[in-house]
Amino acid sequence: MRFFKKTDIIIILVIIAASLVVWGAYRHATRKEPPRAEIYHYSQLVKIIDLDKGEDLVFSIAEEPDVVFHLYPDGSICFEESDCPDQICVHTGRISAPGQFAACLPNGITMKITTGDDADTPDLVIGGRQED
Amino acid sequence: MQKKIKMQPLNIYQSKGRTHTIVLTGLLFATSIVLSLLEGMLPPLPIAVPGVKFGLSNIAVMYALFFIGPLPAYGIAILKSAFVVVTRGMVAGLLSLSGGLLSITLMLILYFLLKSRVSYVIISVTGAISHNLGQFAVIALIYVGASVWFYLPVLIISGVASGILTAVLLKAVLPAIRHWFK
Repeated sequence: MRFFKKTDIIIILVIIAASLVVWGAYRHATRKEPPRAEIYHYSQLVKIIDLDKGEDLVFSIAEEPDVVFHLYPDGSICFEESDCPDQICVHTGRISAPGQFAACLPNGITMKITTGDDADTPDLVIGGRQED
Repeated sequence: MQKKIKMQPLNIYQSKGRTHTIVLTGLLFATSIVLSLLEGMLPPLPIAVPGVKFGLSNIAVMYALFFIGPLPAYGIAILKSAFVVVTRGMVAGLLSLSGGLLSITLMLILYFLLKSRVSYVIISVTGAISHNLGQFAVIALIYVGASVWFYLPVLIISGVASGILTAVLLKAVLPAIRHWFK
């Protein structure tokens, strides 16, 4: 058994290319729908924010006033501030594409980007779980 | 470049008995914890995906898998997840467990199915990618809505990078390990 073979490069490149193709197809399929952010507090949907309105908004949810969100005019949203110790949610940065998510586990808050105006109708067949 | 490097299994399990195996597994478990602590001290990667890391502790798991046996490798993964549960909570432990078990299983399959035709780098890359995917599966289950399709390139490319890194590091430290564990 060898440490490294030349065919490894081909195998690796094919895997990377395949993942990029899937990613491209996914972006293409979700391109047309207006994205929105859904904010959950312990699995309870507490707020829905439309991302395509071009607003600049700093807000927090009533359940957790110490967690501050920031919606940017370019349609991205992030955890601006949080009182949690690990700050993973803040470090995740701005998210804007359908399927992206950010979470603040210590506060039980998750935020995900979805598409479509009706969450009950799946409008993307290849997608896994983003329409649940 | 293409010369066969000395990576023949030591077969400690048969030659030196159970106690030796248990001690070695314990040492490797300690090594994996030290490696993941070391990794925690490094600056965070500029990737906005939770759970993507170098996976340095996979070096210990891979060593166990290649040179001791499948059971000690699973043992290290499970013990390490238990350690993560204690130190970083249930969710992190679950992530560690799912990633670890999936990656060992796939590396095992590859190792035994294609024994001579597959390289260590590919096994390592497989392990790293499947570790990422296993973790992400749990993330997707917890935060229903996280789309694996969007994150797939990140998971794959970071898996390739960390897989190559761990393989090279393992190769680099192998002479030292062999010297100590003779």
